[in-house]
Amino acid sequence: MNAPVKPGAFRVEALLPTPPADAIIRFEAVGKTFAGRDSQEPVTALAGIDLVVPRGSIVGVIGRSGAGKSTLIRLVNGLERASSGRILIEGEDVTNLTEAGWRERRRATGMIFQHFNLLSSRTVFDNVALPLEIAGVPRAKIEAQVSRLLALVGLSDKRERYPAELSGGQKQRVGIARALATEPKVLLCDEATSALDPETTRSILALLKQVNRELGITILLITHEIPVIKEICDRVAVIEGGRIVEEGETFEVMTRPRHPTTASFVEAVTGVEVPDYLAGRIHQQALAGDHAVLRIAFTGENATTPVISRLSAVIGVDVNILAGRIDAIGDKPFGSLLVSVPASEPELAAVFGALKSLDLKAELVGHVS
Amino acid sequence: MSPELIRLIIEATGDTLLMVAIAAGLGTALGLPLGVFLATSKKGELFAAPAVNAVLGALVNATRSTPFIILVVAIIPFTRLIAGTSIGTFAATVPLTVAATPFIARLIEGAIREVDQGLVEAARSMGATPLQIVRKVLVPEALPAIVLGLTLALVSLLGFSAMVGAVGGGGLGDLGIRYGYQRFMPDVMAIVVAVLIVLVQTVQSVGDRLSRRLNKRLRHA
Repeated sequence: MNAPVKPGAFRVEALLPTPPADAIIRFEAVGKTFAGRDSQEPVTALAGIDLVVPRGSIVGVIGRSGAGKSTLIRLVNGLERASSGRILIEGEDVTNLTEAGWRERRRATGMIFQHFNLLSSRTVFDNVALPLEIAGVPRAKIEAQVSRLLALVGLSDKRERYPAELSGGQKQRVGIARALATEPKVLLCDEATSALDPETTRSILALLKQVNRELGITILLITHEIPVIKEICDRVAVIEGGRIVEEGETFEVMTRPRHPTTASFVEAVTGVEVPDYLAGRIHQQALAGDHAVLRIAFTGENATTPVISRLSAVIGVDVNILAGRIDAIGDKPFGSLLVSVPASEPELAAVFGALKSLDLKAELVGHVS
Repeated sequence: MSPELIRLIIEATGDTLLMVAIAAGLGTALGLPLGVFLATSKKGELFAAPAVNAVLGALVNATRSTPFIILVVAIIPFTRLIAGTSIGTFAATVPLTVAATPFIARLIEGAIREVDQGLVEAARSMGATPLQIVRKVLVPEALPAIVLGLTLALVSLLGFSAMVGAVGGGGLGDLGIRYGYQRFMPDVMAIVVAVLIVLVQTVQSVGDRLSRRLNKRLRHA
């Protein structure tokens, strides 16, 4: 029997929290332990990993070498198997998949590598054709598909060349074309730009972004380079000692790092160091007539406000810029400034008060006379 | 030099080439899969079977550590079983093949092990089966090294073939011993040595050139 629909019924649904974005990959309490060599203790590579990769996003996992990120990414295509927990890919539990089952899955998951891993004995064309040959695609279809992909990565004129004749950036483009050959839904990037110079890195990252936006391919990447995260990742997870210590939207994590590891990664790109000429002269105890050295962080909206002039106006003193770095994460500006203000102990409280009123985060580095 | 001697030298060269060709052909046919298996069957590898690997490895070592002239005599019953007789050029190909197979297997194992493991991982990430990895990645990538290994095997076989005269195997070595040494004909000995040198040089330079042509790693843009 049908109950009459009450006019207010839809309101209730509208008040419910919006369902989480469709997860294409989901790690649930995943652990990985490697048997120790000989009589040594087993090594725990990953412990209690919970991670969601939303469909269509670019998610970066950053960590230092040995943090477990390589193991993590290899769990997604079964090159490593989880010791505990479960992994869901498109809602399917793949934790206990057989090797044959994994082979099927891997054809729907592309992967690119730090050292490209192209076959030296095959031409560019034949390298890109390899996954299609493996999948048993007929030759005529291979021809069309490979030509299309080489055009996408801008290497149509190199099809008959061998990898040894290509630059690093070109090799990675071949790697990307090869990874996309079987039209996967997910692309795994294993330190894909770590062997490339900064300029080539940018062009490869731009290509990955294009692949993500235009083809709708979800990208999970691992890296130890914060610029990679900053440049293209929608979300970032920081991994250390086999655990994810911080995870969230890239801008949030980078501008408000909560974990020391995150902070040190972020420092490397957006932090400003005290210049050498000044470092030796900084002392912690304020003397009369000293200038206070402050580090001010800009995030989001306030990064575009005229901070220096406002600060001068509020505290009534001149602000001297010593060093600075303004950058963008995605399309949001972010940065920090190192400034000195003529203020010793009593006036400092007023300066900090003024900064706070402008919603800026600041810390006292020291004093210079 | 008499036409008779020239005929003998040509015949002996033919016998040597025939023995070496058959032994190298069969040795490669048997040694290639054996070498691939040895290179891929240790713990954690594509066709992991550590016990079988250990047994085959020991067998290969045993064969390789037996001096060839002793091997020839030691396997006479086996030679008779295969060839129906234990003497003559055809029968001599049996010990030659038995010696060549483990030698070639080790050379191929070495060549395959030199292939970057990253390529194996890349192929696995594409969903390749172990057999596809062997056929499409390991063997093609190892081919320049395999060709060099086979060249080395051919040169060694030319040397081994000189010893099968001991069981009536014929060929250049046999001619050198019977005419050059036992009948005191130094000119025959000199010609035998010269022909062997030319054969080895030819095999080596053809092998080198082929390997270089197959090696696409050395090209520069």
